[in-house]
Amino acid sequence: MKKTSKATVITAGIFKYLFMIFFVLIAVGPIVWAFISSFKSYSEINSSALSWPSSFKLDNYKAAFQFAPIAKYFLNSVIIVGCSVLVTVALVAMCSYIISRFDFKLKILIVLLISASLMLPAQAISQPLFAIFQKLGIFDTKLGLVVVYSAMGIPMSFFVMTSYYKTISTALEESAYIDGATFLQTFIHIILPLAKPGLVTIALLEFINTWNEFYFALMLTSGDKARTVPIALNYYMGTFANNYSALFAAVVMTVLPTIAVFIILQRQVMESLTAGAVKG
Amino acid sequence: MRKKLASRIIACALAGVMAVNVPVYAGSDDGEKVVLNVINYHVGTDYAADYYAYLFEEFQKTEEGKNVEFNFEEIPTTDAYNQKIKLLISSGDLPDIVFNGGNNITELAAKSGKVADLTPYFEADPEWKALFDDTSLEFNTVDGKIYGVPVSKEISYIYYNKELFEQAGIEAPEVAYGSWDEFFEACDKLKEAGITPVGMDSADSGWLTNLWMSALIGTNGEAGNKWMNTIYPTDFNTPEVEAAAETIQKMFQQYTTPDAVGGKYDPMATHFFNGEVAMFPNGPWMIPDFSQTEKAPEGFYDKVGIMLMPCNGMEMVPTPGDMVGATDEKKIEAAVAFLKFETSPENQIKALEMTGLQPVSNDLDIPETLTESDPLMAQVLDIQGKAELTYGQNQAYWYQNTIDTFSTQLPELAYDNMTAKEFCEKLTESAAKNQQ
Amino acid sequence: MKTKNRGLWIALFTIPCMILFAIVYAAPIVTVLYTSLCDYTTFSGPVFTGIKNFAAIFSDTDFLVSIKNTLVWVVLQSTFHVSLGLLMALVLRRKPKGWKIVRTAYMIPNIIPTAATGVMFTLLLNPSFGVVKPFLDFLGVDYNMVPNLFGNSRYAFWTVTFTWILYSGFNTIIFLAEMGAVDKEIYEAATVDGARPWQVDRYITLPLMKNIFGTCVTLASVAMVSQFDIIYMTTKGGPGNSTLNLPIYLYKAATLENNYGKANAVGVVQIALGLVLVLLIQRLFQERKELKEGK
Repeated sequence: MKKTSKATVITAGIFKYLFMIFFVLIAVGPIVWAFISSFKSYSEINSSALSWPSSFKLDNYKAAFQFAPIAKYFLNSVIIVGCSVLVTVALVAMCSYIISRFDFKLKILIVLLISASLMLPAQAISQPLFAIFQKLGIFDTKLGLVVVYSAMGIPMSFFVMTSYYKTISTALEESAYIDGATFLQTFIHIILPLAKPGLVTIALLEFINTWNEFYFALMLTSGDKARTVPIALNYYMGTFANNYSALFAAVVMTVLPTIAVFIILQRQVMESLTAGAVKG
Repeated sequence: MRKKLASRIIACALAGVMAVNVPVYAGSDDGEKVVLNVINYHVGTDYAADYYAYLFEEFQKTEEGKNVEFNFEEIPTTDAYNQKIKLLISSGDLPDIVFNGGNNITELAAKSGKVADLTPYFEADPEWKALFDDTSLEFNTVDGKIYGVPVSKEISYIYYNKELFEQAGIEAPEVAYGSWDEFFEACDKLKEAGITPVGMDSADSGWLTNLWMSALIGTNGEAGNKWMNTIYPTDFNTPEVEAAAETIQKMFQQYTTPDAVGGKYDPMATHFFNGEVAMFPNGPWMIPDFSQTEKAPEGFYDKVGIMLMPCNGMEMVPTPGDMVGATDEKKIEAAVAFLKFETSPENQIKALEMTGLQPVSNDLDIPETLTESDPLMAQVLDIQGKAELTYGQNQAYWYQNTIDTFSTQLPELAYDNMTAKEFCEKLTESAAKNQQ
Repeated sequence: MKTKNRGLWIALFTIPCMILFAIVYAAPIVTVLYTSLCDYTTFSGPVFTGIKNFAAIFSDTDFLVSIKNTLVWVVLQSTFHVSLGLLMALVLRRKPKGWKIVRTAYMIPNIIPTAATGVMFTLLLNPSFGVVKPFLDFLGVDYNMVPNLFGNSRYAFWTVTFTWILYSGFNTIIFLAEMGAVDKEIYEAATVDGARPWQVDRYITLPLMKNIFGTCVTLASVAMVSQFDIIYMTTKGGPGNSTLNLPIYLYKAATLENNYGKANAVGVVQIALGLVLVLLIQRLFQERKELKEGK
């Protein structure tokens, strides 16, 4: 540190903050813009991107509720996405652990299968799924969407988690086995606590990936029971009758609570990180 | 051929008799509810959402509808609706009443054999059948059988801003410009006065540009008119189409707003509402927007004039009709009853009043109250009769993927990245992909 | 690793995952593979025809362009985009003032529904009333026509790329979690030895990130192979074929041409391409590990 001149430190600091500020601006810009636009009239929104709304009336927010069952769909989204996050995390926590630690005959097959499913185009799988779901009786249910979303989330989470497990040294497990701990005890008491940051990360990823899913939510449902926010947003986009202001109002209303959840979840990650550090 | 026809008539008549008989039995066991599955895309901000809500409610108050219950699935936007309907066509789970969201759904559904042949029902009720002209029914006929019940007609023409015309010192014609040359002379004068002459777009399906192009082709002699009245054209390299594409190229470069290329409908409509473009092609459903202060400045309604496309041309197509996906006899009956209700003269007029949808029947008595409360709509009803040339437009007549090619290649044409001829070749290529 | 009942635990821990997979993916994978060799449309069932569909797509220039675009996006995303996420994680790792705000803010674009993002960008970049004109005026750039960013095929590809390439919050989170797992003592030792911050990052953090970098590159590539929503919402693959990629091409074959056989043939190519990429990337990033295991 001493060798670095003061000027260099200051320049580096300035660049660092410019970098951070730039990305905060481009990241927050869209939602701020959507917030401002949610007060504009049709005419204002379609004739100027930078103007200020003529008034800050809540009409568009009223319209958002009037045109679409946004509250109900939001609740559905929360339940469906919440459950699929739990399912994905639970399944991947187990499966990835095995893949990262053991070599066995079918391993390559499992990895290949998971990789291949990452690329399966939604259009191609919607039709067979439609038929299967009707047979299983989970068509148009929240459970049905949870099943698809969990399955869709597995590949991505799988890669992240397998990689994360590899950072955890095997020495701890080995000594646990020498002490006579069973496989399950070792996994639950030693591995899972250490893997918590990784698990929270895949929970966040699964959340991001399913929150905006539109296609299956449309194809595998037929009523209000299991439909989610992205479908509600379509209600504001009729032929010759787009209502972008209501769309943005709905976006603001659904994104803000999500950000709150994010902040809480990230605080959790931090706590677990520091906790882990103390233990380590 | 004649034998076939004769046997078909007999078959229809028989089916008709059966069809007439069934409700007698069905009617006898009172109180038994018929549940109809319906997927409705007229929801949310759809221009006809209120009208369809009204229609479903009123139907249940009628004699035929009092035992009918609807089980609704709502799918906002025709885009999402068509995706789902296609999935349901191939899986065979169509709703009992299949609303038609365009996209060549009629042909796909009919070919899949999963919608009911409605011919017998038309034959059994000549009064109902008489409400539709031959073109409208033919448009909904696949392999000699009627599958769709057309509920309206689509027409379009030019709206112009009287104030801007005045500013440019030109007078709009009573009915239409006599030729495209006169039309472009007017455009030049508007341009000289610093006014953008026409509204165009290219995104989604390039709706506005499509209306200009259809007009250019449809008013270009007998061959052009015939071409523009052809369903599923496959050869776009005809002199008329190529000439039209060239004119479209010129219009993009000289007569429209810079955001027309790649632009969507809404900002383009807003240009017109704000008095930034002088002429805008569209249909009657736009009229309610003129008096909505949310969209257009106060008093805009009175500034709007209507004229036909040059050479007294007007786009007019029958709409692809609503179909019946039910297989159970009783449900088919109930679904047909609903379609009859939807197309009753009273409801056609109701639709006109509430949404601007033009009646599919030709000589309905339009109540005078309408012409007083909505002079523009009255003018629309009046000016239709003055059209000397009518023709279709691409969304109704072209293959779905060709419409998409039209929309994605327009910018290339507009920016001179391809010639009109190359543009038409792309369309021809694209249409050829549908022939297997 | 050795433990009692090894085989049993392997089975117990992987089978739930595989069952879920079987429900959702087994039938579709078979269907896609088989029907890619069939005449199959919206209105008619599959009839075997051999490689006709593949012959058709590979002789279509639009298809070749869509592969090219897909690959360019894969390369851009797995290099620039992932590195950006890494850079941000390196900056945030030291917890400079306001780092929590940055971390949360950088995630926000990922949770805004794509439908809204699409509308937003088309309005913001509208050449008549968007931000482009004021921005160019601000920079003092001379222009005779405001560039039509989505409408002109000269800019469309880069404009579409711009809608996602800077938003790397996803990767930042993954890297941050991984960096959190690095033993603190290593850093402490390095600082005591007088290593400068960039040296610490260069010689300690980065090498430790190799594995997860590989994972992020894999995910980024795969995401690009199946990128659909935002392109559909903004350009639908146009103007011309300038932003056409495999999923959009597939969508058009399925929904606009009603040709499921052809669409599924594209699907097979998409899966194959993705698999090749995944295997290549894994090989690229796991060399060292294999060497270690070789010992």
